[in-house]
This record gives sequence, C-alpha cells and structure tokens, in this order.
Amino acid sequence: MHPLFARGQRIALYAGASAVAGVLLAAALLVITPRPWVAALAFAVPMSLAYGFMILSSWWVCRANPLRRGWPSITAQLAASLQASALWTGGAALVAVILLRAAHLGPDRPGILKDLAALFVIGVPVYLLSSVVHYMLLALEDSHAAERRALESQVGAREAELRALRAQLNPHFLFNSLNSINALVGADPEGARRMCERLGDFLRRTLALGAREAVPLREELALVDRYLDIEQVRFGERLRVERAVDPALLDCTVPPLLLQPLVENAIKHGVQNVLEGGAVSLGASREGETLVLTVENPIAADAPARAGEGVGLENVRRRLAAFGARAARLTAGRIEDRYRVKLELPMTHGAGGADA
Amino acid sequence: MVPGAPMPEALRVMIVDDEVPARALLREYLGAEAGITVIGECANGFEAVKAISEQRPDLVFLDIQMPRLDGFEVLELLDPVPGVIFCTAYDEHALRAFEVHAVDYLLKPFSRERLAEGLARARERLGAAGGSAAPAALAPMALAASARPAGQPLERIAVRDGAQVHVIPVERVDLLEAQDDYVAIHEGGRTHLKHQTLAELAESLDPARFVRVHRSFVVNVERIARIELLAKDSRVAVLSDGRQVPVSRSGHDRLKSVLG
Repeated sequence: MHPLFARGQRIALYAGASAVAGVLLAAALLVITPRPWVAALAFAVPMSLAYGFMILSSWWVCRANPLRRGWPSITAQLAASLQASALWTGGAALVAVILLRAAHLGPDRPGILKDLAALFVIGVPVYLLSSVVHYMLLALEDSHAAERRALESQVGAREAELRALRAQLNPHFLFNSLNSINALVGADPEGARRMCERLGDFLRRTLALGAREAVPLREELALVDRYLDIEQVRFGERLRVERAVDPALLDCTVPPLLLQPLVENAIKHGVQNVLEGGAVSLGASREGETLVLTVENPIAADAPARAGEGVGLENVRRRLAAFGARAARLTAGRIEDRYRVKLELPMTHGAGGADA
Repeated sequence: MVPGAPMPEALRVMIVDDEVPARALLREYLGAEAGITVIGECANGFEAVKAISEQRPDLVFLDIQMPRLDGFEVLELLDPVPGVIFCTAYDEHALRAFEVHAVDYLLKPFSRERLAEGLARARERLGAAGGSAAPAALAPMALAASARPAGQPLERIAVRDGAQVHVIPVERVDLLEAQDDYVAIHEGGRTHLKHQTLAELAESLDPARFVRVHRSFVVNVERIARIELLAKDSRVAVLSDGRQVPVSRSGHDRLKSVLG
C-alpha cells in the first residue's frame, strides 16, 4: 500500500496540489495554442489530477528496482516513465476529442496534436521526479527499519543474557548444593568448606562470563569444570566425566554460558535418571572452519522418547540466535542409549578473548 | 512429644534418596531424634519399592527426582502405603504431595527443627490411625490417579510384578484391557497387570493417542491397522500384530474424532 493512502487527509492534500499543477498546465497549453481559459482548464485540470495519481505507481516500480542495482533500475524507471506518459497522453487524446465533440471546447485537430505532444514531453520528467521522491521515501523507511531492528536485537541479546543467567543460577541446583553442604558440615567439615569455595567460584565466574559477549573456550570449560566438581559431590561415583578437547582450540572464542546449561541438562535428564549413572562426555574439535562442541550423556533405556530435551536446550538455542551467530547450529538427538548435543560455531580467535 | 505421655514405640523409618550427601544428612538428623530407628536406605525407586514392601517401615523419607522411578511412582506401586515425608529441592510438587496424603513436604535444605516438626506430624498421624502402617487405609489406586500433574499426560506406566518393577513408556503400549480391579497392559507380546481401573488409567493418558474403543478396551491408535465392520454397529479394530479388539458404537465415534 502506498504511504499516501494511509490517511484521507494526505490524499486530499495531494489531490489539491495536483489540481494546482493542472492550472499551471492549462497556462502552458494556452501559450502553445490560444483558446478560452475555460477550455484549457476543462482539459488540463482533470488530466493533471489523473496523472498525479498515475505517477504514484512508481512507488512499486521503485520498490521492485532498488537504486543500488544501478543501471538496470534506472533503465526500468526510464521505461516506466515513457510508458506512464504514453498511457496518459493516450487517455488525454480521448478526453480532448470528447470535449471538442460534446462541448465544443478546445482547439481543432492540429491544436489537439500539439497539446498531446506537450503532455507527453511534460509527463516523462514528472514521472521521473516522482520516482526520485519515492526513492527518498524508501531510503527513509529503510533507515527507520534498520534502527528498529538494531534496537530489537539489542533488547533480544539483553533478554537472552538475563535468561541465561537466571537459568545458570538455577535455584534447584543451589538448593541441592546447599543441602550437600549441610550434610558435609557434620561428617566432613573440610569437604563442606571446599564445596562452599567451589560454589562461590562457580557463581562468580558465571556472573563475570555472563556480562561478556564472547569468551575463550578455556574459560567456558573452566566454568563447566566448577559445575561438575559441585555435582560430583551430589552424585558421587554415579557421575563420571570424559573430556576430548583439542588443546589447540582452547583460545577460540565462543558466546558465554552455552556449555554449562548443556552439561546441566546432561545430568538432570541423563545421568540422574540412569540407575548406575554414567559418563558425561565433553568434546571440542575442529571441522574445517567450524568449531564443534559436543555434550553427550547416557539415557535410561525406558526413558520416554522426548527424554533429554529440556529448557536448557531451548535457552541455548535462543542465546545462539540472540548472538546473531548465523553460522551457528545446534543439533540434538538420541543415538541408541546416549543423547548427544552438537554445537557448531564458526571458528573465531581472540576477539574479546582477553584472559580474565 | 507430649510431656507425661507414654513413650511411643520407636518409629521404623526408611530413607530413599539418590544422593549420598542427602541420605547422610537425614541419617545424621534422624540419629539425634529419640524414638526413631532407621531400618534402611535406598538409592533409587526400584530398591525402594522392594525394600519398603519387604520391610514395611512406618515412615519413609522420599526424594522425588530419582533414577527410573520417581517418588510418586514408588508410592503408586506400594500397597500398603507407609507414611511419607517428601524431601526435595523442588517446591512445584507440593500440591501433588498433598493429593497423595503425604505427611509432610520438606524443601532442601531443611533444618533440624523443620525435620522434627515433620516427625511430630508423622507420629500424630500414625498414632491417630492406630499403630504402624496406618495410612495404608488409602487405596494405592486413588493415589495413582491423583498423582498426575493436571493437564500433563502420563509418559510411562510403572507396574509391579511381585518384587519386580517394570517401567513401560506409553508409546510401547499396544492395548489396555479391563480385568476386574486390574488393567492388563499389553505391550509387544508381554502383558502386565496393574492394580487400577481402566477408566482411571485411561484418564491419565494422552487422549490423542489412547482411545477407549470399548467398555473394556483402550487402544493405542498408532497400532490400529484397520477397522472391520462385522455387522451393523459391530466392528473390530485389527491391530498391527493381528490382535482383534471389539469396537463399540460410541468407541467408533471416539476413534473417528481422534483419527479425523
């Protein structure tokens, strides 16, 4: 829809301006072929009004042919202007003949031909002028949209960060950890102390990482290690951890707080539900220009088909989206009795990766 | 304890939690309480069902999130049901806990005082009911039906066969058949009996997948190979394994509305 039609007021204003242009057109025609004012106005004003609305069609032509395409767009505009002007002139011929025959208004035949030639010559540049105005309008609209998009993605990223932090500081994890500390205080005070330190360290790291845009894989893995240390106390021998991390990849940068929620999922929906427990496997490898991170966990043989999916996974997906990591991909699925989440990120080094 | 009241018989208590520290804490707290004997500990739901039905404790401290069988599923499989105090880090199960008549609901981490309160409540409840194992007056089927969170279909069915416990994911179930007070669960050539009515079990299943085709049969629609018309208003559903199930007129209407 053309923006002009958004409000009735605008249409009326535009029609008024077209009518004024029609008076000017009448004056021009009077100069070419003298005739009474009434005859000139009766012909020129309706024709000007009609053309005023015809040239609005260039809005769609402009949208279909963005200026950045260069010559093809300009050629398209020229062709459209000739077409529009020809159409207008054709219509004007009909109106001129009717006016002459029905009302005896207007010049004779050679006069009409001169009028039509004048209309065609005026029509082309007027159409092109309207294209220029439309291109300017479109550019304005684009910049507004870009501004809005930027704002939206900023808000989205902030929201994702908050959500990640909230998920990270999962209250159940804290409650269970506090319960473990409570238990250790009696039997193993030294252990209780260690657990307090680990928990404090984990929380501090989480807050620090969450505030950054990208962190070295090394730090993200260190956070995961703290988390696993704490869970180890709860699950004891039932939780084992296997790591297959290529040391050369430790300085790659990744969006923060991606791995830990996946590991938390692996425990909550995996290891915890398997009678004899099992291993959470962490992997980091390189496939061409892609950094591949994997988290794997065992799942109970009789677990329902959906087992393994959790809010954690959804959060990580949203976070990837918010980080605008277009090339990033998260796939997850069950392979026999293991559940595997694979995170593919474009390889990046260094940016924002100053070691804390 | 009420001063001057005669010392009650020691409460026989069992601890069920999959986390070592959580069990250690309960053991420590309970050890300091008078009139409590901890008769056993279990690290998962399977062990719990076996140990509780064999040793008949008066009171069970029961975690909810555990491997294979969660706390509610453990209760479902017990008959008689002992007194239960849930211990969990999750507060969202409290309503369900009340529905299954739990004595108390302790949120981790809890204090000694809070635990003592729960014990006092348990003594009161068990005493009022006249001795140990009294809450067994509750039928386990009633528990099972009410133990589902509202609006969330069952994902697996726990059944007990003597000391053996089976957990059947619902997608593996072919057919449910009413047999007096029991439901026969047919699953890939095996049949399990569950002490529950067909109506109750059917109600907790996903209605888009399980349709009551007959007063005595609920069928997994994914297993239906075809419907055969035997006579006017008399149909049978032929399942993919060849089994034939009678379909009543209203059952056929229900099937049509699900299959579209």
